[in-house]
Amino acid sequence: MDLALEMVHGERPLIALAAGTADGRIGTDPIRVSEAVIEVASPDGVLVFMDLGSAVLSAELALEVLGDPGFEVRLTSAPFVEGILAAIVSAAYGADLDRVQREASGALLAKRMHLGEEIGDPGSPEAGPVGLASSAEIHADVQLLNRDGLHARPAAMIMAALTGLDAVLRVQRRDAAEAALEVTGPTALMAVGGRQGDHLRFAAAGPDAEVALQRVGQLVADGFGESTVQACELAADANGSAFGVSPGRVAGRVVRMVAPASAPSVEGTLPDLIRPGEAARIDSAALAVAEELQARAGMSTATAGEILGATAEIARDVGLLGKAKDLVLSAGRSAERAVWEAYDSLAADLRARGGLAAERAADVIDVRDRIVANLEGRTAQGLPDEDEPYVLVAEDLSPADTALLDPTRCLALVTEQGGPTSHTAILARSLGIPAVVAAAGVWSAPLGAVLLVDGTSGELIWDPDEASLAELAERPGVAAFSGRGATADDRPMPLLANVGSGEDARRAAVGRAEGVGLFRTEFCFLDRLDAPTVEEQVEAYREVLAAFSGRRVVIRTLDAGSDKPLSFVGQVEEANPALGVRGYRTSVTRPQLLDTQLLAIAKAAALESADVNVMAPMITTVEEAAAFVSRCHDHGIAKAGVMIETPAAALLADRLLPIVDFVSIGTNDLTQYVMAADRLVGSLASLNDPWQPAVLRLIERVGQAGQAAGVPVGVCGEAAANPHLAVVLTGLGVTSLSMTSRAIPAVADQLSRVDQGCCRAAARAAVAAATANQARSQVGGILGYANGGSSSSQQLAPYSAIVGARSASC
Amino acid sequence: MAMDNVTVETLVDWLARFDSAVTEQRDYLTELDSAIGDADHGANMARGMTAVMESIGAVHPGTVGELLKTVGMTLVSSVGGASGPLYGTFFLRMGIASGSVTELAAPDLERALRAGLEGVVQRGKAELGDKTMYDTFFPALEAYAAAVAAGSDAGPAIEAAARAAEEGRDATGPMIARKGRASYLGERSIGHLDPGATSAAMLLSTLAIAIAR
Repeated sequence: MDLALEMVHGERPLIALAAGTADGRIGTDPIRVSEAVIEVASPDGVLVFMDLGSAVLSAELALEVLGDPGFEVRLTSAPFVEGILAAIVSAAYGADLDRVQREASGALLAKRMHLGEEIGDPGSPEAGPVGLASSAEIHADVQLLNRDGLHARPAAMIMAALTGLDAVLRVQRRDAAEAALEVTGPTALMAVGGRQGDHLRFAAAGPDAEVALQRVGQLVADGFGESTVQACELAADANGSAFGVSPGRVAGRVVRMVAPASAPSVEGTLPDLIRPGEAARIDSAALAVAEELQARAGMSTATAGEILGATAEIARDVGLLGKAKDLVLSAGRSAERAVWEAYDSLAADLRARGGLAAERAADVIDVRDRIVANLEGRTAQGLPDEDEPYVLVAEDLSPADTALLDPTRCLALVTEQGGPTSHTAILARSLGIPAVVAAAGVWSAPLGAVLLVDGTSGELIWDPDEASLAELAERPGVAAFSGRGATADDRPMPLLANVGSGEDARRAAVGRAEGVGLFRTEFCFLDRLDAPTVEEQVEAYREVLAAFSGRRVVIRTLDAGSDKPLSFVGQVEEANPALGVRGYRTSVTRPQLLDTQLLAIAKAAALESADVNVMAPMITTVEEAAAFVSRCHDHGIAKAGVMIETPAAALLADRLLPIVDFVSIGTNDLTQYVMAADRLVGSLASLNDPWQPAVLRLIERVGQAGQAAGVPVGVCGEAAANPHLAVVLTGLGVTSLSMTSRAIPAVADQLSRVDQGCCRAAARAAVAAATANQARSQVGGILGYANGGSSSSQQLAPYSAIVGARSASC
Repeated sequence: MAMDNVTVETLVDWLARFDSAVTEQRDYLTELDSAIGDADHGANMARGMTAVMESIGAVHPGTVGELLKTVGMTLVSSVGGASGPLYGTFFLRMGIASGSVTELAAPDLERALRAGLEGVVQRGKAELGDKTMYDTFFPALEAYAAAVAAGSDAGPAIEAAARAAEEGRDATGPMIARKGRASYLGERSIGHLDPGATSAAMLLSTLAIAIAR
């Protein structure tokens, strides 16, 4: 009703709602209905809408109670929602009771035409298809310019423009085969379904035909007062390839990242005398940037800290800074320009090498811009300084910026670049900010527009309508996690946390995570020139174990490799680091490293009371798994398992699972290996998608092997943090899910709404799908039904509404 | 035979008994309704009749017409579901047909019941076999009319009506619902008693008990 009222200007028809009983329960009260009729009493008559059940009987009884009120009261069977909308608009623009009722009854026309149903009896004889323009008509061809085309509001504006004119107007799309529709009301206009860019023909007959066409033409040319930017296309593109990477559904005002710095001028050469001073500025600016980044790293989560620490190193790179200073000293460049050129040439170099190296180019550019900003005395470009909550739109976000996002102000994050496993995505999840990446064209979004972001489905809606916003407002917030994950029919599904440090673990414990499903130990090893001693490691592990006394903690042994270089591992540079010596494979070249770590884990486990499990990353063969398990057992570690990250391990699940105590599927790496798509390459995001049926089929295989062997199968990749995928994984036989602790409440909430049958149905649909999008949308459909089912009965509350049909003087 | 006439006191006693019956059988009625409707009939009727007894207590209606119209209006605005307008209309029409009298002879009661039932039909547009309260009311009224025509007093006639009502109620089991929300279930409504038909049978059996005393 609010929607309809928004469409009318000037005098509005009187409307009264008679919903619920006298004491506020669901139902209808005939007395209230009759009172409502009196409230909107009008000599023009009153039209009564009702939904189903008791509403019909109550409305009839109300008429009986009223007797003869002195004006006409009519009951209409017109559709409740569409009918009321149409009636309000036509009543507001001066239609009489007959016409209002006819408009209301024909109100389903637009929807029926949209859905391609036969229009046998449109319910509105005057709005039915009529013949092509007759000779007595004049016509005008127009092109719709406004962004949303001929929707309800423009339709209402056209009706208002026609008020008082003696003309019959018809409209048809020039590209469509349908005959022209007589414009008897806004529904006929909406039935045409014109979109931005569509060509329409308006034809008019009668004494005022010319004026009518002029007025309509003017409205169309003005874009109905709406924005005429090409946003439909943008939204379509954005939705076509965008990925939800961090769950949550919110809407807010769009704010863009502050534009990056522009290149400092190359003009002029500094006099020799001042060059040393100028060069010294570079050192102090770079130092300030490095310290700032390091400070942020300290304040951030472990995940963000690691990434920020690495970025800070770029600002401390002696060789790079030396090159910049050299440009000042020898070529007389300004400090700003010198930094710009030095960092740029490194970035270009990295990009030319492709792959992972190219991904680092963004970090180099980020540091370049920060140092240049510091030199210019500006605050670094980047996050907008906004007090009001906003949806942040960016080309891409540097890890430094992402880590700084304030979840209380940044409602959601949408980037043009990036993929589901990019740094931005991982950080957004760890901050609990809904995020969509690879949203092509989003960067050119109009400022101040409202964007609805669904971080689960990747859906983006520009300027969402009232209904979508209202639905958002009504969506119950996710309750805090109860501490026990289970399906609606009480199949337990332990929800564990991925942690990288004692601090992470304590935070996860506060959030009532049921344990730790992935403790990444490499964080203890970062930024070190030599391997940490046994004692140092024991200390670090105990912190995590202490946070989960009596609970399960799965420790992953060092996952190093040339993509996560550790100076003391002594790795050689590889052309394909993802396919190189990484994970468990490093223990072949450096066996001592693993033995030291297992020793430290065993000691820490003995000193604490957590249920300690240990697993190895990047296992490919049964021999590797067997060797790792026996090494763990030799160290007195009872529960030893492996990660399933390679297609080889998944394919051999039936042979591999019986020889280990548990497995954990790392969906990020499994996806990149199955799909042969580097997970750090944004343009491959559509391949690097855990919804890919090929990936899900391998997970199914592992789940089945786990059930056959009685071996627990966990998932600790990002897939576990997606509520819909969590349901699919449950249906595929996974026995625990581990994720960033912020994602646990949403996953727990989703699981509690579905029973095991629903999980299996979702799993079957996902595995049977031909494409990732099909899997995602089919599961979305199944879960949309399951989630909505419980509340739909409440929405069936019968109630009536009264629409007063009054003449308006506009 | 004035001693067998139905007085205002008898009718109040009837309403009190019907109130107790729907309150006691609330869960049963709701259970019937949950099979083929929206699981609110028991709660709605119990609430409606509680409100009715409060209104009567407050108003102390002096005539049959006043009493039954009060009942009707109260039900209409307190029940909420479809049974509100239906039972409300039933009592309203009964009250109008009875007029300002303090007691009803057997033929007067027949006229009142017939007027009430006509109201129900007009409101609900039900026909025999649609699996509604009409399937209870219609045979009950036929039985009552036949007994009165054969010279029966109100007491025996209403007893015959109550028996016919129970048979009518039981006959709704195998029917396919054609009215109300239950009609959306189609053949799946077979095998369930209609909740409205069940409460209507309670209405007649409590009237029979009230008159018999």
